[in-house]
Amino acid sequence: MELLDDIKAAKDVINALMKAKKAFRMYPENNPMYAKTIEDTYAKFGSFFDYRDDLTLKIKQNEIFCDTEQVYFNQQKEDNLALFFFKDGLREISFKKGFSIQELEEFLKILTVDYDREVLDDDVVTLLWERDFHNIRYVVDEAFLVEDEDYEVEAVREVKDKAVETDELTRAYEDAFKEEGVKDISIVPLSDKDLHMLVKELEKNNYNKMDKLLTIIFEMLYQADSKGDYEDVVHFLNDAIEYSMKHGDLETTTNIIKRTKETVDDPAISGEAKKYLNLVFSFLGSDTAIKLLGEFLDSGIEIEDRIFADYLKFLDKNAIQPFITILGELKSIPARKNVINALIALGKKDIQSLAKGLYDSRWYVVRNIIYIIGKIGDKKAVEYLLKTVNHGDIRVRKEVIKALGELGTQNVLQTLRDCLDDSDWQVRTSAARALGNVRSAAAKSIILRKVLDQDFRKNDFNEKKEFYEILSHWKDNDVVEFLMKTLKSRSFFNRATNDENRACAAYCLGLMGNKDALPLLYKARESNNKLLREYSYTAIKRIEHEQ
Amino acid sequence: MNSKEEVFAGAKDIINQLAVIIRTAAIHDPGNIAVTSAIDRFIAIVNPLITSEGEVVLELRGEFFYLGEARIRYSLEYLPNFDFLIREFKKREMGSIVFKDVLKAEDMQSFLKVFISSVFSSSPFEAITEGMNDIDNLSVGKLRKIREEKVEGEVDIRKVVKKSYFNAVSYTRGVINKIKSGEKVSIKKAKRVVESMVDMILEEEQLLLGMTAIKDYDEYTYHHSVNVSILSIALGQRLGLNKKTLTELGLVALFHDMGKIEIPNEILNKPASFTDDEWNTMKRHPFWGVRAILRLRGFDSTSIRAAIVAFEHHINYDHSGYPGTKKPLDLDFYSKIISLADQYDGMTSSRVYSRIPMPPDRALSLMMERAGTQLDPILFKFFINMIGVFPVGTLVMLDTKELGLVYQSDAMFLDRPKVLVIINNKGEKVDGYIVDLTEKDTNGKHLRTIIKTMDSNKYKINLAEYLL
Ligand SMILES: [Fe+2]
Ligand SMILES: [Fe+2]
Repeated sequence: MELLDDIKAAKDVINALMKAKKAFRMYPENNPMYAKTIEDTYAKFGSFFDYRDDLTLKIKQNEIFCDTEQVYFNQQKEDNLALFFFKDGLREISFKKGFSIQELEEFLKILTVDYDREVLDDDVVTLLWERDFHNIRYVVDEAFLVEDEDYEVEAVREVKDKAVETDELTRAYEDAFKEEGVKDISIVPLSDKDLHMLVKELEKNNYNKMDKLLTIIFEMLYQADSKGDYEDVVHFLNDAIEYSMKHGDLETTTNIIKRTKETVDDPAISGEAKKYLNLVFSFLGSDTAIKLLGEFLDSGIEIEDRIFADYLKFLDKNAIQPFITILGELKSIPARKNVINALIALGKKDIQSLAKGLYDSRWYVVRNIIYIIGKIGDKKAVEYLLKTVNHGDIRVRKEVIKALGELGTQNVLQTLRDCLDDSDWQVRTSAARALGNVRSAAAKSIILRKVLDQDFRKNDFNEKKEFYEILSHWKDNDVVEFLMKTLKSRSFFNRATNDENRACAAYCLGLMGNKDALPLLYKARESNNKLLREYSYTAIKRIEHEQ
Repeated sequence: MNSKEEVFAGAKDIINQLAVIIRTAAIHDPGNIAVTSAIDRFIAIVNPLITSEGEVVLELRGEFFYLGEARIRYSLEYLPNFDFLIREFKKREMGSIVFKDVLKAEDMQSFLKVFISSVFSSSPFEAITEGMNDIDNLSVGKLRKIREEKVEGEVDIRKVVKKSYFNAVSYTRGVINKIKSGEKVSIKKAKRVVESMVDMILEEEQLLLGMTAIKDYDEYTYHHSVNVSILSIALGQRLGLNKKTLTELGLVALFHDMGKIEIPNEILNKPASFTDDEWNTMKRHPFWGVRAILRLRGFDSTSIRAAIVAFEHHINYDHSGYPGTKKPLDLDFYSKIISLADQYDGMTSSRVYSRIPMPPDRALSLMMERAGTQLDPILFKFFINMIGVFPVGTLVMLDTKELGLVYQSDAMFLDRPKVLVIINNKGEKVDGYIVDLTEKDTNGKHLRTIIKTMDSNKYKINLAEYLL
């Protein structure tokens, strides 16, 4: 039998809805497919409304009907549109002509919500109800909400049974004549002031209520009389922290902990209570709490520096390990930056815990920890750092060498000097730069000695140039002397190499702005070697310009 | 084309602006610039609507204005003007106003003149209609009694409301039992139950309020929770709260006494008065409520509100109640609403606070004394407006010497409810017939008036027999 046109159109609508349900899960709102899905579905509704003014769908467990015609059938549990509506008690849904495209979009969003998520307290009917669509009507069967079907009958029978055989109606009637007459209850109308106050009250009603609940929870602490009560309070405060962290509300988190601190400091509070409250501080730095912080840092929610700094003040050293853990997991750069700042602040309290991060299996974590230790500048950290100098990853080695240089204690020199002999040029230059940062006379002589080394002179020009550049930090006589000597030196063998070194010396003298070197440089500018010529020329320009 | 939402947003403004005009016209001369510019603004809102809809009919039904068949929702900032206009309409027994064609400023001017002067007339509505003979595009209708045409369908509506009420109680009982036995409960279902109560209140407020009047169920605790929820939602509706907020309020109200699950049944259902020790145990239920709610739900926006209300609902507006706190708490808006509902329902039953139930009208006058001390005085005004001066279930004597029970309060005239007569004027018991106290004879005098109220408990009158 041929299907009627309107039924066919209804079937098309259902198919379009099924398709849209999938598409909405796949494409974000800014994807062109999203808008196209809405338009396509809307067109199907439009075609139906060409035949009739409203589309009423009757919903059974596995079927959907339009009039008496089945327009949908599915026995599977998965992706079953009929069951999807049916399970929440929806038995009929109708769309009226005039159903707008905005309404359709809202409706499709309701179809696509992930209702199995545990945090969600809404079902399809609740969402339809809240939206109050003008052009969608629906019928629900509330039977599944009833816990006990017979309750109504029983309760009514029970209250009615209480009627005494002979109620005393007649006596009531007689008494009525003796009673006093009713007093006039006059209702004072609402004044504008009343309403004004109510408006204010309603505004307050939208404020964050956490603070009030905290007051109540602390009140519970003050009135606690058993271990169990204390445990409850701690538990609730921890939950409150978890809740605010989950919502990316670090300000509330800080407020919770601030208030906990105030309570701990209250002389009226017992030692026992204090002991319990201290558990809240450790929770703040626990794996759970820091993980949540990491999640919302990574989600891109911006945190004001002031708020983050405020929060950091309350963390204890137990947070170090969890922070190191998330440091390796975070994807966004600003998030990592925040964690690094946190570790710089916390690491000062316990460099030893922080140093454990140097053994992390992830090279980038180790590199960050080195950076952090460097920033903290604790001289005691050197011994931990020294252990990572031979790390398997070059990026780590470079970082640690740099950090060592920044720390600049006597005991790093030996290590840095060894690094100058490393087989990897990156390590060698890093070590040289680090020595340059140390700036001590000892560091200077290490570099001087290195550049004098016959083997070194054969190194790549760029590396040598780097070393000479570092030397320019020391504007001492012995350095100048060495440079002048190098610039003058002549060699008949390996002339090219020698000229490279001379170029380096010229370069360095230029950087130092040494005008005494000018005569030598003028001479070198006339050299046959192009490199030397160029570097001498630049150095001269630089020195003359500075004068 | 205007969408429906826009039409309704406009409707809210029409009511608002009409109130502004009438207010200004009452203090200024009609030709005054304040009045004329208010009229111009009004016309600018109304005329586009007339063009798109043909005509604009504003009707007052009960406490609400309707545009056509749809109730106009308002939020609190509109309430002063809505409230004003409702009173001005009622004073004149005027129920509707119709604008058509193209409304002109002169039409509004002539209407204002008669409208304002009509208040001094003994039959104000007639005075308005007479004065409006030569206005073309504006007409008025008399205040209609609500739902007078629906008497036949009423039985069925009652059944639906009753079913909805008992569903809620049975659900609550199930949930509380589950909680007691440590089972997980789904808030999704609770929401659905409350949503259906919200719907009932939006549509059949008085009938659902009537269901809260019967108090002698054995398992009153569950009925109490549902009653407090219903009364709170109804009050919230009067305050202009939206559907979503009403649901939250209702949900929070439903669990206000959660802490009582820790009180032994022997105390809870004790027929005699409490000993001091027992009282002290009872007074811990706000603490236990917070604990139970937070343990059950953890933290989310609703459970935070619920825990706050569980803690605060006995503190009282003047902080004279319990539990005492180190620093006085600034009571939550929901707590204030719910404690009104809680006090009323508690006082009128024999199971919540006192062992002796109080007749509803007595409870109300006691609450009136407490307004400003224990109770929020402003919210109380709304409460009494909702429940009526003679709440459902009050035993009353009429000036016709008929004795009856208040059956349904009248949204317009708070002291003129519908009464179910159970003893006629000859002192004979009758099957019960309903009389409407707003009815007047041909001379405009009321046919019946309440002269006395009595305690139905004293005479063991079983309300359920009459009301269910
Ligand atoms: Fe209570
Ligand atoms: Fe209560």
